[in-house]
Amino acid sequence: MLSSDDTSLVGSNTILERAGASLGGRSILRGLDVEISPGQVLGVAGPNGAGKTTLLRLLATLISPDQGSGFVLGARLGSPDVYDVRRFIGLMSHTPAVIAELTIRENLEHAARLIGADLERIDTALRVVGLAGAAATRGDACSFGMLRRTEAARLLITRPRLLLLDEAFSGLDVDAQELIDALIGRTIEQDGAVVMVSHDQAHLVDRAARVMTLSAGRLETVT
Amino acid sequence: MNRVRILLATAGIAVLTGLWFAFTSPVDRLQGEFSRILNLHAPFMWVAFLAFGVTAFASIMWLIRRTPRWDRLAMASVELGVVFTATGLFTGMVWGQAVWGRAWDWADPRMASTAVMFFVYIGYLALRRAIPDPEMRAKRSALLGAIAVIQVPLVYFSVNLFRSLHQTQSIRPDGATMPREMLMALLVNFVAITYLYFALLVARLHLARLEEASAAETAREPDAVTPPRLSEVKDV
Amino acid sequence: MSFWAQAVEIARVDLRVERRLGDVLRVVLPFAVVGLLVFPLALGVDLSAISLIGPAVFWAVGILFGMQVALRQAAHDNRERRDLYALLGVDPAARFVGRTISGSVLMVGFLVVLLAAMIVLYSPRLPEGWPIPVIVGLGLTAVGLTELGTLAGEVTAGLRNRTALASLIIVPLALPLVIGGSQTLESLARDTGILPWLLLLVATDLALAVAGVAMARPLEEASR
Repeated sequence: MLSSDDTSLVGSNTILERAGASLGGRSILRGLDVEISPGQVLGVAGPNGAGKTTLLRLLATLISPDQGSGFVLGARLGSPDVYDVRRFIGLMSHTPAVIAELTIRENLEHAARLIGADLERIDTALRVVGLAGAAATRGDACSFGMLRRTEAARLLITRPRLLLLDEAFSGLDVDAQELIDALIGRTIEQDGAVVMVSHDQAHLVDRAARVMTLSAGRLETVT
Repeated sequence: MNRVRILLATAGIAVLTGLWFAFTSPVDRLQGEFSRILNLHAPFMWVAFLAFGVTAFASIMWLIRRTPRWDRLAMASVELGVVFTATGLFTGMVWGQAVWGRAWDWADPRMASTAVMFFVYIGYLALRRAIPDPEMRAKRSALLGAIAVIQVPLVYFSVNLFRSLHQTQSIRPDGATMPREMLMALLVNFVAITYLYFALLVARLHLARLEEASAAETAREPDAVTPPRLSEVKDV
Repeated sequence: MSFWAQAVEIARVDLRVERRLGDVLRVVLPFAVVGLLVFPLALGVDLSAISLIGPAVFWAVGILFGMQVALRQAAHDNRERRDLYALLGVDPAARFVGRTISGSVLMVGFLVVLLAAMIVLYSPRLPEGWPIPVIVGLGLTAVGLTELGTLAGEVTAGLRNRTALASLIIVPLALPLVIGGSQTLESLARDTGILPWLLLLVATDLALAVAGVAMARPLEEASR
C-alpha cells in the first residue's frame, strides 16, 4: 500500500461535470460544473443551507453524485477508485474530527500510523501549531481552538493533495487563523489544491484566486 | 499525614488483635473451625451498612450546605462501603459453601438484598465517574446517595421480615445467645473493623483533598497553547 | 499500512479508549450481574429450579447485555470520526476486522466473568470436563456476537434510534450463537457429541466474518 507521500499514481484533476447530489431524498446540489487545478485555491461562498458542506463531502469522495459525473484526483466519483485517492484528501469539517478519549499526541500518532506517515513528524507538527505543551491533553478536555489546531497538525502530517476547508476560520483567534493560512500555503507550494467554503465572503476574497457562489444547490456566479 | 499514618498503623494493630481473638476463641460445635469466619463476615457487613449510612448523611448534608467536604465524605464512604460489602459477601460465601454446601442461598433474602445494595453503590460510583463537572457530580451523587440508603435498614431487618436461613441476630437487647468467649471475639472484631473503616475513611479523605488541590493547581497552570511557529511549517 | 496492520491499529486504539472509559468493566458487567439476580428473585425460592435454569439464564443475560458490549463502539461513532477514517485511507473491511478483534477481547472477558457469577449464584450441576468445551464455546459466541454488533452498528449508522434498532437486529440473528453455546454444555451433560454445536458456532462466525468484510464498503457508502 502506498504511503501518504507517494503520489505517483494519483491524478491531479478534480472536475465536476453537471454534477448533482441528494441527501435523504432531497436534491441538495444541481448541475455543478467546476474544475480545480493544482496550485489553485477555490473559494465557495453561500448562505446557510446552500449545500456548501455537501459540495465539500462530494469533493472528498464521501458521497457520490446522482447526476452528472466527477473526478477527484483522477478517480471517478462513485467508483472503487476513490478508495485509492482518499488518503490524499484532507478535510477540515465544521466539527473537529478528534477522538475525545485520546490525547492530542495519541490522535496524531493514530492518524500517522494509519496513513503510513513518519511518526517523527508529530513533534514538529505539534510545535508548529503551538500544542507541544498541551500534547498530553485529552480531546474531551480541549477547547475548540485546540481541536482545530490538532486537525491542522494532522493535515500537516498527512500532506493532502486536495485540502477541503469547511468554515475553517470560524471561532478561531488570529494565531489559529494564520495557521490555517500557512496550511493553505503549504498545500499550494506542494502543488496541491484547496477548496474552502464560508458563509462570509470576506474570509475568501483575500485567499482564493476564484470565488464561486453557491445558492440553492447551484453555482451561480464566478468572480 | 502523620495523623493518617498513626491511624492506619493503630487500625492494623486492632485488626491483628481481632484476628488473634478470632483464631483463639472457641468454635461452634456444629460449624467447627468455619465459624471463625463469622468473626470477620458480620463486622464487615455491619461496617458496610455504616458506610452507606454515612454516605446518606453526607449526601443530605451536601444538599443542605453545598460544601465540598460533604461530597468528599460521601464519595469516600461509598468507596469503602463497596469494598467492605464485597469482602463481607465473599466471606459469607466461603462460610456458606463450607457450612451449607452452597456459596449462595436464595432462601436467604438478606444475601440477595445485600448483593443488590452492592450494585446500587457500584452504580453510584459509575455515575460519579461519568460526570466531569464537580458541582453537577456532587449534586447528582448526593441525590442518589440519599435515596439509596433505603436499602440499608431493609437488609438489616430482612432477617426478621422474611423466612431466612441466617440465624436471627445473635446479639439482642435482652442478651446474647452465644458463649462469652465467642461473643468477646466477635465484639473485638466489630470494634477493630469499625476502627479500620474510620482510619481508611480519614486516609481517603486526605487523599481526596490532595487530588482536589492537584486538580486546582493544574487548572491554574499557564495555558499550554503557544503561538504557532509558522516559519517551521515547511519542516513538517 | 497493510490491511491487517490497520485492523490491529484500530483494535489497539479501541481497547485503549475502553480502558479509559471503562464502559464494559464498570457499567455493563455489574448491570449484567444484577440481571442474573433478577431471575431467581422472580422465580421464588426453589433451589432445584434455580440450579436448573442457571445456564439458560446465563445465555439470556449474556446475549442481552452482551449486545451493549457489542454496540459500545457504535455509541461513540459519529460522522466526523467515520469521515476521518475514510480519509485516512482505512479500508472499511479493516475497520470491521479491527473492531471485531477489540470487541471480542472485551466480550470474552465479559462472558467469562458473567459465567463465574452464574456458577456462584445458581450452583448449576456442571458435567465433568466442562471448562474447556464451555470456554471454547464461549469464545466462539463472543466473536460472533461482536461481529453482529459491529455489523448492526454499521447498518444503523447515523439513525436517530440507533441503539434500540441495532439491538432489535442483533437478537434474532444471535439465536444460532445462543443455541450453539447452550447446547455445547447440554451435550456434554448428556454425553452426546459437542462437535456439531461447536461447528455451528464456527460456521456462524465465519459467515458473519465473510458478510462483514464483503459488505463493509457498501455499508459505509450507505451510511452517508
